[in-house]
Amino acid sequence: MMGKVWWAIIPVLIILFALLGYGLTSNPKHIPSPLIGKTFPVLEGTDLNGNVVSLGVIDGKPTIVNVWASWCAACRSEHNVLLRGVRRYGDSISLVAINYKDELPNAKVWLQQLGDPYLWSFHDLSGRVGLELGVYGVPETFFVNKQGIIVEKISAPLTDEQFAAGVELMSK
Amino acid sequence: MEINIKKITIFCLALSFSSLALAVEVNEDPLERKMLDIAEKLRCTVCQNQPVAESNSGLAKDMRDLITEKLKQGRNEEEIMQFFVDRYGDYVLLEPPQSGNGAMLWVFPPLLLLLAMLAAIFMMKSRSEKQTTTPPPALSEADKERIRRARAVDSGEENKSGDVH
Repeated sequence: MMGKVWWAIIPVLIILFALLGYGLTSNPKHIPSPLIGKTFPVLEGTDLNGNVVSLGVIDGKPTIVNVWASWCAACRSEHNVLLRGVRRYGDSISLVAINYKDELPNAKVWLQQLGDPYLWSFHDLSGRVGLELGVYGVPETFFVNKQGIIVEKISAPLTDEQFAAGVELMSK
Repeated sequence: MEINIKKITIFCLALSFSSLALAVEVNEDPLERKMLDIAEKLRCTVCQNQPVAESNSGLAKDMRDLITEKLKQGRNEEEIMQFFVDRYGDYVLLEPPQSGNGAMLWVFPPLLLLLAMLAAIFMMKSRSEKQTTTPPPALSEADKERIRRARAVDSGEENKSGDVH
């Protein structure tokens, strides 16, 4: 009788410990985005120079949309990754940006000092476009394939490896 | 003296009216109430475990503004919650959903409790069964002999006490 009971309890305990182990070792800040697999919305606005721009697939190429701000320290370290990435993959992809809740002069100076890897930066002063795209904070990066589907979203400063992996995912 | 009483009466009257005026001012905005009701159920996504209604973060403030705006456009609570879930996932809901992956959170704890109770009942049952059904071990010849001797001594003593009577 006792043996039977134990055979019922042990698998449950194993499953429970496995789940606990998974929960404790995974990063609580990594939250999968429900936007992956969805179409990137076409959003119109102006860039830092006042030109009308429209977010989505740019020039028919897989497009990376990077969210940044001049007040964001992590964006500064990420910037070199973007500059390197564009030098390497610039022919096959488009890189545009959303400048998130930033003052125009600050944003412009930032790009002058650090270099501008973007085709343009969509100026989202109010943060409304950010909310529309489920943005938590900056930096954040969307990888959009040629069909306009979001294939990956990274809510942290990009690394070179993530950039390369994202480009591969987009061109599939 | 008379003037003083008059003054006091006027002062008191004025005071009572002033409180009336205050009461009117406290009237709250029903739209704001509705907005806070929704914001109370949404997680401030950058502060892990605080509702949007209570957070001072920039994102939470933007979310409150957006809720107000959508309420003004005539959207209902369900539509607004869905807007955030579509963009931020179920994570944005402070109370996990009762369907899909979230169902596990609601079903698992009671299920586990039930399982533990069943296990406890089984264990108690098997223990009590053991006590009632297993016969005591048979006495050895040596034990029987000891009992016989003890009985013999007992009956001898009884006889003695009988003699005294």
